[in-house]
Amino acid sequence: MMPFPDRNMFRGQIDDFRHILGNPGLFFATAFITLLILVFIVFPIGSVLIKSFTVASPTVAVSVENVVSPEKKGEAGEVLLSIIRNVKGIEETSLRKEGKTDILLVRFRKDWDDLKGLNDIKRAVIREKALLDPLVADIGYRLGRESAVSLATYLDFFSTGRYYRALRNSIVLATATTLLVIPLAFCFAFLALKGPGALKGPLKIIGLIPLVAPPFIFSLALIIIGGRQGILTKLLHLPFTIYGWQGVILAQVITFLPLGFLMIENVLRSLGSNLEDAACDMRASDIQILNKITIPLAAPGILKAALLVFILSIADFGNPMLIGGDVSFLSTGAYLLWVSENNLEMSAVFCVFLVLPSLIIFIINEYILKGKAYTTIGGKPQHSETRPVAGKILYPMLGVAAVASTMIVFCFGIIFFGAFTKILMVDNTLTLEHFQSPNGFRTLITSLKFSLGAAVIAPLIGIILSYILVRKRIPWKKVLESLALLGFAVPGTVMGIGYILAFNTPPLVLTGTFAILVINEAFRNLSVSLEAGVSKLHQIDPAIEEAAADMGAGAVQTFARIVLPLISSAFIAGFIYTFMVGMIAVSAVIFLITPGNDLAALYILNVAEQGYLGMACAISSMLIAVVLVCLGGLKLLVKYTNTEIF
Amino acid sequence: MTGVNDSPILEMQGIVKCYGQLRAVDNISLALTRGKLVTFLGPSGCGKTTLLRVISGFTVPDSGRVILDGRDITHITPSARDTAMVFQNYALFPHMTVAGNIGFGLKILKKPKQEITREVERLLALVQMEDLGVRKPHELSGGQQQRVALARALSLHPKILLLDEPLSNLDANLRLLMRGEIRKLHRRLGLTIVFVTHDQEEAMSLSDELVVMDQGVVKQIGSPAEIYETPIDDFVARFIGHINFLPGTVTAIGDDKIILATDHGDLKVEPPPFAISPGDRLKAVVRPESIDIQAADERYGRKGENCFPGRVEVAMYIGAIIRYTVMCGRQTLYVDDADPQYGGIFREGKEVMLYFKDRIHMLKI
Repeated sequence: MMPFPDRNMFRGQIDDFRHILGNPGLFFATAFITLLILVFIVFPIGSVLIKSFTVASPTVAVSVENVVSPEKKGEAGEVLLSIIRNVKGIEETSLRKEGKTDILLVRFRKDWDDLKGLNDIKRAVIREKALLDPLVADIGYRLGRESAVSLATYLDFFSTGRYYRALRNSIVLATATTLLVIPLAFCFAFLALKGPGALKGPLKIIGLIPLVAPPFIFSLALIIIGGRQGILTKLLHLPFTIYGWQGVILAQVITFLPLGFLMIENVLRSLGSNLEDAACDMRASDIQILNKITIPLAAPGILKAALLVFILSIADFGNPMLIGGDVSFLSTGAYLLWVSENNLEMSAVFCVFLVLPSLIIFIINEYILKGKAYTTIGGKPQHSETRPVAGKILYPMLGVAAVASTMIVFCFGIIFFGAFTKILMVDNTLTLEHFQSPNGFRTLITSLKFSLGAAVIAPLIGIILSYILVRKRIPWKKVLESLALLGFAVPGTVMGIGYILAFNTPPLVLTGTFAILVINEAFRNLSVSLEAGVSKLHQIDPAIEEAAADMGAGAVQTFARIVLPLISSAFIAGFIYTFMVGMIAVSAVIFLITPGNDLAALYILNVAEQGYLGMACAISSMLIAVVLVCLGGLKLLVKYTNTEIF
Repeated sequence: MTGVNDSPILEMQGIVKCYGQLRAVDNISLALTRGKLVTFLGPSGCGKTTLLRVISGFTVPDSGRVILDGRDITHITPSARDTAMVFQNYALFPHMTVAGNIGFGLKILKKPKQEITREVERLLALVQMEDLGVRKPHELSGGQQQRVALARALSLHPKILLLDEPLSNLDANLRLLMRGEIRKLHRRLGLTIVFVTHDQEEAMSLSDELVVMDQGVVKQIGSPAEIYETPIDDFVARFIGHINFLPGTVTAIGDDKIILATDHGDLKVEPPPFAISPGDRLKAVVRPESIDIQAADERYGRKGENCFPGRVEVAMYIGAIIRYTVMCGRQTLYVDDADPQYGGIFREGKEVMLYFKDRIHMLKI
């Protein structure tokens, strides 16, 4: 543990401040980016947090003007107070004087209908007209709301079944998904690395294709198969549908498989086969090697993957929305509370519980797992030749992977064929009618503009910030970095509600604009570009920049001529990632779209919910095609300009 | 020694292993003598590591047989072979302690706990790491990790111990120390050891027998002295130490001497072990330390036979020796003077006389 902040620490910070103040360019760049981060990441999240601790009650302010007359018996305000004392729902009253006017502020219970309260007050005033008239020259009413710091919403959360069940359901869902995804991803990764050569390529592709699809596409496919009008439901006269737990879990498992696969494959690859060879040399059988060497060594990495899947499962919006049925979850619950009840306070509390697991897991990751990863020590990589895997391990794994692969391919097939047939399996006439959706095309264009906008802004800011963080001396570096990462760590639902809360009122009113969508997406994904920049900069020897400075280049010139070209691969990586994620974004933007600014992924969700599954498939297919074409184009561009990525 | 033990511990017959177009091991047959420390030596890519992995079982040869102590093990998995390997980067299990690493194989064999503990202690003592059993590999120095890897490999009493460039990750001093340790261990345990290295000095100082390899084939097998003094061809001669080649033609064959006419003049030397006739082209192979260097104007210097004039081009003071590059006619020769203090150092540009001995190794051209 560090001792209590000592003097040297402060001296270091003071020196940092002196340094940055002596460098106007650095100062302005840092200040500008810090301001952006504070406004577009910290402020919205803070707004959610504050909102969750406030209770807003409806108020009615009654202002009465006193008659100036010597023979009046008492003040109008006090009489008024006695008159309305018996009105129902009143929580508190307060009286204040402004010259001749008495203002009575009536606060109702927070769930009280404010119009009913107002009418009750008016009725009481009319009933006691005789008492008031001699005293009052004029009377006015004004509706309002009054916020107060309170834990009431939290208490409400825990005492109301439909609220706390959402929390429990989300945790159960995330646990189930994680427990299924991780072993599956392990099988995929293990086989892709050590399995029969012919299977490696296909497994990799199948494991990764879900990445380019909107995150809820599997829900869509599952609904076509097992929904109320689903192929299997009708064919087999099933007594149940896919809606509910079974559907969400299944859809999430497929959705998050690529991520688990990528992470675990990376872990296994970095372990290499050297230690396994050594264990084999020590007479260990393949199963013993797996149990005693491979799994224990990969455990920290696997745990990391599990934590990430857990967080993403809790934050997932599209799948629970489409296929969740009657089961309530935190992310969709927060949305529904806002849309149907306008209960932003409870929505904010849901958000707090959405963030909490991520926060706990982030802390576990940062403080417990840090430095626990094993990589093979020293030496050059050994022969690439791998030992064949024993059948006892190979066949069960192949079986599991085959089932999962079939499901993934099947789902994609359903979407594809669903797009081109009238009603899949019912009327298999080929048709293009589902593609005749002007709204679909319009939203696709909007999505493209939106994704491109975010994909330019995020890497731009992220990479300048990474340069400042890695190479420059600024105060509170770690704090700034953590704040920038927040946008990514916090579930999209939270950022969505945060933006509504933060940018609905002056000074910065952005809600309803296209800009808020782009800004939201850019700042949510800032950290990916930031991390890409940081890791690239760590690979580039600072001596190169020193050499440039030695040749007489200034700071700006060094950055523009030396750093930028070298770091362009990080920019492109950030661009690709932000673009892909933008095209399929759902969770945060659903709070921010307005009728003119509808995005393709959300439109699919909307159309699917209304039951136009063919059209949903068609637009999904187009969306996937657009993403693939754009990625392909980018790849060609990269190839012909000889820029390296990753 | 009994007759049985005189049979080779390991025989390889016609081993071939290709990676695509590359013939990594090209029809190698080899027999290893029981109890010897044999080194596979060659430049990187010569197939020595592949050959070692064929013995350990991590590489299955395309054709050929591997016979360990009379048993054909060509298609047996590494885990069922009586061999043990020390990997180049040690491959210690990072999640186990030193003791856990050493005892791993015994645990796999389901030996009783007490026996494992006793055996681990014995092995720790053998590699002089008695107190370090509870440490994790990353808490050890490179040399200590090396010892643990050795102890672990020895734990299963292998018939052959395989060492894959085990010293390449150590710094120069530690490498010398570990060389000695391995040599001592070999003496003490009487184990058959196969050692792979590309470092010729390491190979010379450690081995009973050297197997010099290049491009997938065995070039020469012999004791370090044989390889050094009588290399079989240019490659072996060049690979082991510095070398001078003096090509020439046989002009006369006497009873015990022959005359080889070189560019510098006639060399009168002992005849090579193979049959020659006048007019044959031969190449004298001369180590730099076999050439004496003396000042050209020295009156008492040896003159006449096998003595050529030259001029010092470069003089490099290395410490133990001084290495001259001498221009002799149109050829540059390397000459090592082992005791420069005695004769003094010849400056660059100085005229010198080079004296060749009459026992010189010859190669056919």
